[in-house]
Amino acid sequence: MNPSMPQTTMAPVTMNKIATELIGSNSFRMLKVNLAPRQTITVEPGLMASQNTQINCVTEMNGNILSALGSKIFGGESFFINHYTNKGSKTADLYVTQTTPGDMFEKQMNGETLFIEAGAFIARTSGIKCQTVWAGFTSLFAGEGLFRLKYSGHGTLWFGSYGAVFEKEINGDLIVDSGHLVAYPPHMKLKLKLAGGLFSSIFSKEGFVLKISGQGKIILQTRSVKGLADWLNARFWG
Amino acid sequence: MEITTKYNPAGTVAICQMKAGEVLTAEGGAFMALQGDVSFETTTRQRNSGGMLSGLKRLISGESFFINKFTARSDAQIYLGTALPGDIFVKELRGEKLVIQGGSYVACESGVEIDLEWQGLKSVFSGESLFWVKAKGTGKVVVNTFGFLYPVQVDGEYLVDTGHIVAFEETLNFTISKASQSWIGAFLSGEGFICRFKGKGTVWCQSHSPRSFGMELRSMLRPKQ
Repeated sequence: MNPSMPQTTMAPVTMNKIATELIGSNSFRMLKVNLAPRQTITVEPGLMASQNTQINCVTEMNGNILSALGSKIFGGESFFINHYTNKGSKTADLYVTQTTPGDMFEKQMNGETLFIEAGAFIARTSGIKCQTVWAGFTSLFAGEGLFRLKYSGHGTLWFGSYGAVFEKEINGDLIVDSGHLVAYPPHMKLKLKLAGGLFSSIFSKEGFVLKISGQGKIILQTRSVKGLADWLNARFWG
Repeated sequence: MEITTKYNPAGTVAICQMKAGEVLTAEGGAFMALQGDVSFETTTRQRNSGGMLSGLKRLISGESFFINKFTARSDAQIYLGTALPGDIFVKELRGEKLVIQGGSYVACESGVEIDLEWQGLKSVFSGESLFWVKAKGTGKVVVNTFGFLYPVQVDGEYLVDTGHIVAFEETLNFTISKASQSWIGAFLSGEGFICRFKGKGTVWCQSHSPRSFGMELRSMLRPKQ
């Protein structure tokens, strides 16, 4: 250990909280980050809209090789992740966007765990970890992939929605379309269900729905990109 | 001409109040409605210069091949809309030049001259339009954005992802560069190309990138059978 470093009993070095602001309206939300010197924020690739030049971007693998590969192939997230660090001596701005119009959600994490659907993740502070975990075949048939993304730790997490963020407290069962599900706590069970009978499930687009059971708060988005794509496909090619 | 906007930022419409004799030039797809005695002409050029070539340039720049030239014969209103949900921004020029991203240009008054400028290879690599619209003169220019608009006063250097640029003052110089320090990093970072602005002036950015939204949607669209 470096002798010049003062001994401390605090386990993780907690940097000063990063000053952030959600700007715009719920139809077009943006995350404005004011990074103090040496502060770092981790952002999903492709979401930086504009920034001061003293902020440096370093691209790294998203976790370890397995986790990164898992995220990419199975979780639908990027293999890489960008770390933005203010290398200057003054506070610097970073504007973070998302690909679809819609709202963003900020979640303070104090040791809890949250599953977030692929594509919804926007940014996190350094105390938050992302892991790719086995989701089971239920998830695959729902068009979600075999793995899911688990976020845990201490800090702040931001994720986005196409449309508005719709929070729902449930105690029991809720049936949701998989394209509208954004995030849910780990103790809740997900099950694949047929929307109608077997026949109509196979031959209709609605096909499968998800049944979420348990007690807790889940987050839905009021629009679905898949829904828009299906709507367009039907009108382009019949 | 008085140009106001309504229903910002998601479903913005621009309302142009015209007096007899006033002329408005609008990009082909922007026209929504008009009220009053207005003659309109669809042309490939704004004035007596350019012709087919300027129409072709406009097509390549991400604008429609044709532009609509509206001439009011009495008091009239013209309503302009855009394809993507978002804001509309009206900028009054007083002799200065404004550089507008190809797909963001909507309309201008007759005192404003628009020209399409080849930005060289640096723009080709950015994946954005090859031409940017240069507006100069006196009068109002109407520009659209995907999402909301945020201006940034640059003094020194500033970086903007190429998909988020709406317009900038010509007092700013720019170079297209990579987002990360290394080429591999730039490729992997997903940011691709960014515009590095230098100097003093304003750059107007849009909250959302049409290209990113298009790419996300494209992966789910079926090819023609």
